[in-house]
Amino acid sequence: MATAVVSHEHGLSWSRAGRVLGGNPGSVRRPVAFLVVAIIASTIASPSFLTVGNIKALLTSSSFLIVLASGEAFVVLMGMIDLGVESMLSCAGMVAAWLVVFHGFAGWEGFLCAIAFGMIVGGAVGMLVTRVRVPSFVVTLGTYWGLLGVALLFNGGNYISPSQGSHVSFSFGGIANSTFGISNLIFIMVGVVVVAQLVLSYTPVGLWVRAVGSNEQAGKAVGLSTRNLKVMAFVISGSLAALAGVMITAWQVSIYPTSGSGMSLQAIAGVILGGIPFSGGRGTVVGAAIGALVIGVINDIIVLVGLSSNYEYIFVAAVLILAGLQARGGEFVK
Amino acid sequence: MSEDMQKRTEFIAPSDEGAPLDIGRRPGVQGEVTAVPPGPGPSALLSIRGVSKHFGPVKAVDNISLDVYPQEVVGLIGDNGAGKSTFLSLLTGYYRADEGTFLYKGKPVSITSPRESRNKLRIEMIYQQLQLARDLTVWENMFLGEEIRLFGFISDRRSMRKRAAEVLERLNSKIRPNDLLGSLSGGEQQIVAIGRAILFDRDIILMDEPTAAISAAKVDDLLQLVRDLKELGKTVVLVSHRLEDILAVSDGVAVLVLGRLHCVVPNENLTISDLVHLMFGGDTQAVSSEQTLAAARWRMRHAIAEGGS
Repeated sequence: MATAVVSHEHGLSWSRAGRVLGGNPGSVRRPVAFLVVAIIASTIASPSFLTVGNIKALLTSSSFLIVLASGEAFVVLMGMIDLGVESMLSCAGMVAAWLVVFHGFAGWEGFLCAIAFGMIVGGAVGMLVTRVRVPSFVVTLGTYWGLLGVALLFNGGNYISPSQGSHVSFSFGGIANSTFGISNLIFIMVGVVVVAQLVLSYTPVGLWVRAVGSNEQAGKAVGLSTRNLKVMAFVISGSLAALAGVMITAWQVSIYPTSGSGMSLQAIAGVILGGIPFSGGRGTVVGAAIGALVIGVINDIIVLVGLSSNYEYIFVAAVLILAGLQARGGEFVK
Repeated sequence: MSEDMQKRTEFIAPSDEGAPLDIGRRPGVQGEVTAVPPGPGPSALLSIRGVSKHFGPVKAVDNISLDVYPQEVVGLIGDNGAGKSTFLSLLTGYYRADEGTFLYKGKPVSITSPRESRNKLRIEMIYQQLQLARDLTVWENMFLGEEIRLFGFISDRRSMRKRAAEVLERLNSKIRPNDLLGSLSGGEQQIVAIGRAILFDRDIILMDEPTAAISAAKVDDLLQLVRDLKELGKTVVLVSHRLEDILAVSDGVAVLVLGRLHCVVPNENLTISDLVHLMFGGDTQAVSSEQTLAAARWRMRHAIAEGGS
């Protein structure tokens, strides 16, 4: 009896400690805590980690994943999943490159066409999920394979680069250039995260998204169009994945049909690490972005300490399990 | 026709083909009660006329006509499958009626969605499984779907928090607007749901089994809240399997049997066994009260008229 009482009190104190350090489930304090730990560990492992040059490079190379995770956050917040963002990234990049290189489109035209492509495919996914009632896991597993297949068709399975055309550049409006010594990709990434978070926190639509994710019946009971909101989430996810595709095309000055390989699961891992549970309803885009950045830090430190990139997946797996534990809040110690 | 019987004709009555109605023909219900007119009852807040809802061959709600008046508590009872939930869903716009009309303060309105029900019939529904979002704060739940906006697209969070705090204070609650809903007890969540009705000044509050999810100790608090709502000028339609709750707060009781409105009786000298008797289609004259709710209303309105208030 005494033991039970002690363990109960012990459990409560751990729970309280967890809440003080990490805030409530969904709080941005939790991914921030993960990021701080990752930065401290990385700095200890490699002193060159915490240099301006490396931080800039880290933010630039993580910007694609963070933009993907920002879109994925809307889908997961509503209790669904989008497995197809990496294929959308590659396919949209191929669309933009194909139009510019082989069809003489201006860079900005290719950019806009790629975004429109992402929105249309996202809308179609949303319609299949809401109108035909196919689970989002199945539909987006379909887009994962389908869009990869489409990406392969653009240039016979080969990459596309400006050298294949005449007088062509992949600047797409200079999105990969620098301003004040900082890559425009970082500004775009920050802009996406800030706008997405403002929408989520300060507009009725953001409130509806969180409400439907928390309890769809509550949304229906007050007359929200839950189906349209879900379609909107996939349109956002699709268009941001397309944006990431154009960004990576501009950055690499080329695009491969498999450029986004592995990024869907990394984006989802970032979202979960950022405090949005699979059941949806709580969490922030800022948290998801920080979660994605933590994965970027892991990738970065592996390179810095000279480990084989083959270790990346093991580290990400370990972090994801940690993320799963933190998503349960302080309750897991009870 | 005796005066008492004449008074009865003012209220209720289902029929096979809509008005004119004749519940005297129905087995188990005796008397000369003939009909309510197809139009609204005098001074009725909400008049429901000949409303039906079928699911395939099943008549979940069958030709129900009912008047609901301002500032009264109506108990709605019936056995499982009697059509209570479907009837409430028709009122809230969750289902569309196959037949029948709704009149709000005498004017016909069409209800095709929950939003229309809230705006046109001024109804707020408080569901048995509270339709609230656990991950949102109290003020977010209270304003969900009807947010105060700046420039049409920005949530005016400060104003919403302030108004939510005012309403919670009016309900004598210690809940704070920024509390997460999931951190509240079942009774507190009920208050949040009721807060919505106060916030948007709904006239009619439908409560589906409000005491089912709260502890026995909190039941009295909730019933007092129902009385307070009435004092605030609200009409409450209360659905509950706990017949003692119905008897504790209702002015009258509407009884559904197999999708039809069996009878409406005033809550005067009623007992639980009377209600059970009625729920299974029993004779209204066999209950201990000999007056109908219509008669009670008639008296009440005359008393008000004579009192000049």
